[in-house]
Amino acid sequence: MNNRNYNIFFHTHTVSGIVISVILFVIFFAGSFSFFKDDITNWERGETAPISKQINLNYDEALKVLDSTYDLHGRKITLSQPYNVNNVAAYLEASKDSLASKKGKEGQFLYLNNSTYKTSTYVESYNLGEFIYRLHFLAQIPYPVGYYLSGFIALFFLFAIVTGVLLHWKKIVSSFYVFRPKEKLKTWWTDAHTSLGMLGLPFQFVYAVTGAFFMIKLLMVAPSVQFLYQGDQEKLYKELEYRSDDFPIENKELTKAFSINEMVAATKKNWKDFNISRVEIQNYGDANMHVQVEGEIDYGKKFTGIGKIVYKVATDEVVFKKDPLAQSSYLESVKNILYRIHFGDYGGYGLKIISFILGILSCFVIISGVMIWLVARDKKNMPEKKRRFNEGVVRYYLAICLSMFPVTAFTFIVAKLWYPLGQDNMYAVYFISWLLLSLFFVFKKNNSFTNRFCLLSGSILGFLIPIANGIKTGNWFWITFSNHQFQMCFVDVFWIILSAISLYASFKLKTISKLKKTN
Amino acid sequence: MPANPKYLTKSKGQRFAKITAAILGGYLVSISFHLALASWFDRANIMITMAFSGFILWVALMIVAFLAKNGWKIWLIYLGLSLFFLGLLFLGQNYNPITN
Repeated sequence: MNNRNYNIFFHTHTVSGIVISVILFVIFFAGSFSFFKDDITNWERGETAPISKQINLNYDEALKVLDSTYDLHGRKITLSQPYNVNNVAAYLEASKDSLASKKGKEGQFLYLNNSTYKTSTYVESYNLGEFIYRLHFLAQIPYPVGYYLSGFIALFFLFAIVTGVLLHWKKIVSSFYVFRPKEKLKTWWTDAHTSLGMLGLPFQFVYAVTGAFFMIKLLMVAPSVQFLYQGDQEKLYKELEYRSDDFPIENKELTKAFSINEMVAATKKNWKDFNISRVEIQNYGDANMHVQVEGEIDYGKKFTGIGKIVYKVATDEVVFKKDPLAQSSYLESVKNILYRIHFGDYGGYGLKIISFILGILSCFVIISGVMIWLVARDKKNMPEKKRRFNEGVVRYYLAICLSMFPVTAFTFIVAKLWYPLGQDNMYAVYFISWLLLSLFFVFKKNNSFTNRFCLLSGSILGFLIPIANGIKTGNWFWITFSNHQFQMCFVDVFWIILSAISLYASFKLKTISKLKKTN
Repeated sequence: MPANPKYLTKSKGQRFAKITAAILGGYLVSISFHLALASWFDRANIMITMAFSGFILWVALMIVAFLAKNGWKIWLIYLGLSLFFLGLLFLGQNYNPITN
């Protein structure tokens, strides 16, 4: 590689990296915790839910309850189990019947408890897991700003990854093994950045690409619809099999009695290890009522194994059948893989824990990159004004990034003690404490203090999380462990381990800084 | 040590040209390339492939634009390529029109 290319890669890597760094840190930090979104939700509610994609519901009972409050006649109803929690997502579209009641003409999105059938709106069931998950794609910034911002950050992250690899191409193998902790600070940060960056490279590449796809796919979809599908968006979604066939309403009363439970059971019986994950009912109570029962084979048995059966209720006829065990098409596989590899939900807790570690490791790579940027510019020949500016940038960056750890731990405690906290209060607790703590560090003007304080306070607050849970609910982690309430126990134990590690790190830091002073 | 400024673009106009060519030009080429392919080959498969390859190609083209000697020249090349792919797209649509 010639010198010119090397310096161009170097410069573009530096500039793109420093621009995205803070937001990327927020995305990775919150994203790492989001692997345990469902556990956090269950922990906050003090509940345990089966860890499965399968919908656990008495459909007939649930629909009876929904019908009495929302008048289901003529509606399209979609039931799914997006998270491993004790409620099912129910999407009720407005009735197609022109004579439908006023209630029936209103669309609804609800969560339905799968044993009590109590419904709650999205806002009513807002929780800490949801908050952290949404923070990870900046959804708290009003749509579409937050989405596009996080999407473009992902895109430029991909750019930074590729230029970073090109930059190190010549020494990619040798620098992976280099670590010189006794050398000057600059080498320390550089060695850490390159070897850990290499280690996380495949992981980060996948997250950058899929993240960009999730958030800014409209940039790909819009021109495709415009130029390839003559402006007809439905055509594109049909072709990519995102839409199921629509059945028209006949406006005649269905005379036959039906049971969704039986259709679901009949579908499930067809294939081994098949879990029902989605039930879609069209034209409820109409002569042309259709029920589509959809599911997936266990990921361990077949990675992409989506199957479904569509029944026409009036005649008990199977209108459509898709075998999940038949070879999956390229289209189906890509659609599934894009999500699975980002969510990391196909390999149990082992995969989630590894993904969490790699996510936090990426946070470290981001911070070390920022530190290289600072240390490399902290030279005698740099103008004083510029050096002060650089120092200020890093001070703000570290204050914002590192304070996320104690703030997150703090919000866990508040969410537990004042359960249910609700969406507005959760925003207030998290964002105000984040702002105050960041400002404190900015005015304190001591980066190593920021670092140690965050590790120590995060660790202390982290240890308090299981204690707060135990005192408030009596669900001490040894009790939940012996009761097999895995998700609740997991969050407590997870925080204890995390706190122990950060406590150890904070003491280590102390001894290092003491050593440096005596030297 | 920061990158050696000897090798970096100093002129503001050139910088502007390279940055816009990277972000906008790269986007236009990546999209038109995929759409042209989709109009001739298996449309659904190309469209879903674009979900990831669209972004990867875009980023690759960004890097190429920064490596270019002349920012306006790379803009010209990217525009030319986009027009070429758009031409292929319209031809493709005439030969293989979308039927419902």
